[in-house]
Amino acid sequence: MKQELTDLQLIQNVLSGETGQYALLVKRHQRFVFTLALRFAKNREDAEEIAQDCFVKAYKALGSFKQTAKFSTWLYTITYTTAMTFLRKKRLDTSSISDEETFLQLENHTSAFNANVYEQQNSNAFLNQAIGDLLPDDAAIITMFYKGEQSLEEIGEALNMEANTIKVKLHRARQRLKEKLQYLLKDEVKELL
Amino acid sequence: MNTIEQQLWDYIDGNLNETQQKAIEGKIETDVSVRRQYEELLSLNATFSAMELDEPSMSFTRNVMEDVALQPAPIALKTKVDNRIIFTIAAFFVLSILGILGYVLYNTTFTIPDLSKYFTLNLNIEKVLNPTALYVFIGVDLILGLVFVDYLLRKKLFDKDQSFTKGVKG
Repeated sequence: MKQELTDLQLIQNVLSGETGQYALLVKRHQRFVFTLALRFAKNREDAEEIAQDCFVKAYKALGSFKQTAKFSTWLYTITYTTAMTFLRKKRLDTSSISDEETFLQLENHTSAFNANVYEQQNSNAFLNQAIGDLLPDDAAIITMFYKGEQSLEEIGEALNMEANTIKVKLHRARQRLKEKLQYLLKDEVKELL
Repeated sequence: MNTIEQQLWDYIDGNLNETQQKAIEGKIETDVSVRRQYEELLSLNATFSAMELDEPSMSFTRNVMEDVALQPAPIALKTKVDNRIIFTIAAFFVLSILGILGYVLYNTTFTIPDLSKYFTLNLNIEKVLNPTALYVFIGVDLILGLVFVDYLLRKKLFDKDQSFTKGVKG
């Protein structure tokens, strides 16, 4: 049975000319990077653009990656900065849209969101909805902590914050998630009755 | 901020030291409300851990690789500046300095100043500090230098062998 190459081995292969192996790194991390981007962008198209941009940036800077650190932490740092730049740019782009257009957009967004709510069938959908209602930073911290296998220090490194700040934000995010889940699940029980 | 809930989360995350761990375990065992809260947080923790990641579109990897193909291939920073170039430049300067020093020493006639004017010690320095002694001293230094260079080169070769063996095993 062929042993799966580690991130570092794949990086070394890419740096020594086997650039095609970068696809394996992308496949390995794309779900997490995309989810993280979705925590900031809130819609799939933008999240996909951010995630794609993030992988291209990581490829270009691969030579400067210190191979003593975790590749995932480095990648999440790029995701965070890419998402922030994207959102800043988007905010500037949309500031010129008239109020009427904004209103229409918001209406469409709400109706799509409601349609989604009714389609949600399992607790994971409720959890994702609750996470979506958190502040982007808090949502990213929860995701990185539970799904990114990152310590508080590593999350701090990726988001350019102190580990203690991350700990406080994580606690706050859990509390809010708990309240939101209790609220959402209470509604679900009412619907069932 | 050190509420019981925070302590319980720290306990679940494994962020407490042995004493704090024992203290919170004691509270969970003795206090029913703390135990109930702990069980609730455990269940929440399991829900958070079971969170599913979103999947990008099917063409995601292909799109990334198409973009990547337009970029120049990345090169490790340490190989961008070839060490051999640095060593060659360093060797050139060291050899030049040694050459000049050797030439100057070869063309110098060592004369020992009459130190008896300044020192009244009853020591015959001329016997000790003669040209032969100086040549011997420089010769010994040169040998020591060569031994050191030999040690460095052997160490480098050994490291290279080790990393190669690791690579083969890996």
